[in-house]
Amino acid sequence: MTQKISEKIATLEEKVEWFYGDEFRLDEASKKYQEATKLAKEIEEDLGKLKNEIKIIEEDFSKES
Amino acid sequence: MENKFTVSEFVAYCNQTLEYAYSGCVIEGEVTSLKTSQGKWVFFDLKDEESSVNCFIPVWSLRVALEEGMKVVIRGTPKLTAWGKFSITVQAIQPVGEGNIKKNFELLKKKLEKEGLFDAAKKRPLPRDLSKIGVISSTQAAGYADFIKIINERWGGLEVSVCHTQVQGLVAPDQIIRAIDYLNERNAVEVIAIIRGGGSADDLACFNDEKLVRKIASSRIPVITGIGHEIDESLADLAADVVASTPSNAAQMLTRDKKAEISNLHDNIARIKTQILSRIELVNNDIKLKTASISSRIISAIDSSLNEIRSIYRVLDGLNPENVLKNGYAIITGKIKVGEEIEIETARKKLRADIKEVKEKK
Repeated sequence: MTQKISEKIATLEEKVEWFYGDEFRLDEASKKYQEATKLAKEIEEDLGKLKNEIKIIEEDFSKES
Repeated sequence: MENKFTVSEFVAYCNQTLEYAYSGCVIEGEVTSLKTSQGKWVFFDLKDEESSVNCFIPVWSLRVALEEGMKVVIRGTPKLTAWGKFSITVQAIQPVGEGNIKKNFELLKKKLEKEGLFDAAKKRPLPRDLSKIGVISSTQAAGYADFIKIINERWGGLEVSVCHTQVQGLVAPDQIIRAIDYLNERNAVEVIAIIRGGGSADDLACFNDEKLVRKIASSRIPVITGIGHEIDESLADLAADVVASTPSNAAQMLTRDKKAEISNLHDNIARIKTQILSRIELVNNDIKLKTASISSRIISAIDSSLNEIRSIYRVLDGLNPENVLKNGYAIITGKIKVGEEIEIETARKKLRADIKEVKEKK
């Protein structure tokens, strides 16, 4: 997961937009579709795997520093 | 031999004993004889049905809007003055009871509102795509557990740094203030979430502490509060950049929803499929239209050629000798001379004839 999920989602959104834009070419659509589905699958897997890191700070806030 | 003190020694000895035995004692009572001296010192008596004690607090450390008759809880240290007067030096003070808390809330709100502390223009939006969140809460509190549960359910890959503090009582404001300072000094989080679950008005009173409210308003890092239930409103909420109605709601506001994102992914792929099919249909329709246009042009060219040929036919037809004969004319062959035999051809017959006379036409 070298790329952040949010970045991957943004990339996917760009890929989806291509299908609605002026640059759309039917002969490229199949390749682009495969790329988008692959990325979507990757994001879904990443979302399933990612865990949050909860760190309790070892500072005593009851005492004046 | 009995211990003998000077008066000053005795006062100092008493103070030492009082500080050792009762430092940070918490007392609840009603405020009476409230007065401010030289704009610097606040004096009042704290009383109940039977007793009364003198209290003192410097104006700068007074963090509530104190009023005559207000029921409060104080934390302080008892002291014997050089004149032998017993008083309590107050370190922290909080109103007690819903009515008093509400009154303090309204008075402080008015004051801080005037200073522009709650101005909407000062509010900053939460950063998008957060990855580092600072949380200030009691790790033993149910509200904290709800917050972490929702965060974990909704999203992943977040670094959550938790400052464990008290979230109720007289000590809570200072602890929360220190935690805000700690997170701001390190600047390692993108947002600070102050979290506390529901409770009574007394439990939540610490979030109306003036110093804490000012600290929230001046935090360099944006602050979101998720304090109490939907109906609870504190001055901390008013000073925060973003207010969530509950700890769970704060967790929702800080994170994207994994399930919604996955559903969105599926929707996107389905949309692409539909889009490709619709584009193919468009191309098909275009081809159909072009084919129809070509056919129509070919047919029209053929029609035009046929018309041309027909008109040539008509001209040629008009020139055909057979047709001329049909109109009653005849073809004569042979020498035009008296006594000569000639051949006459009509549309239907061929004749032989002798020329009897030849005259010039006049």
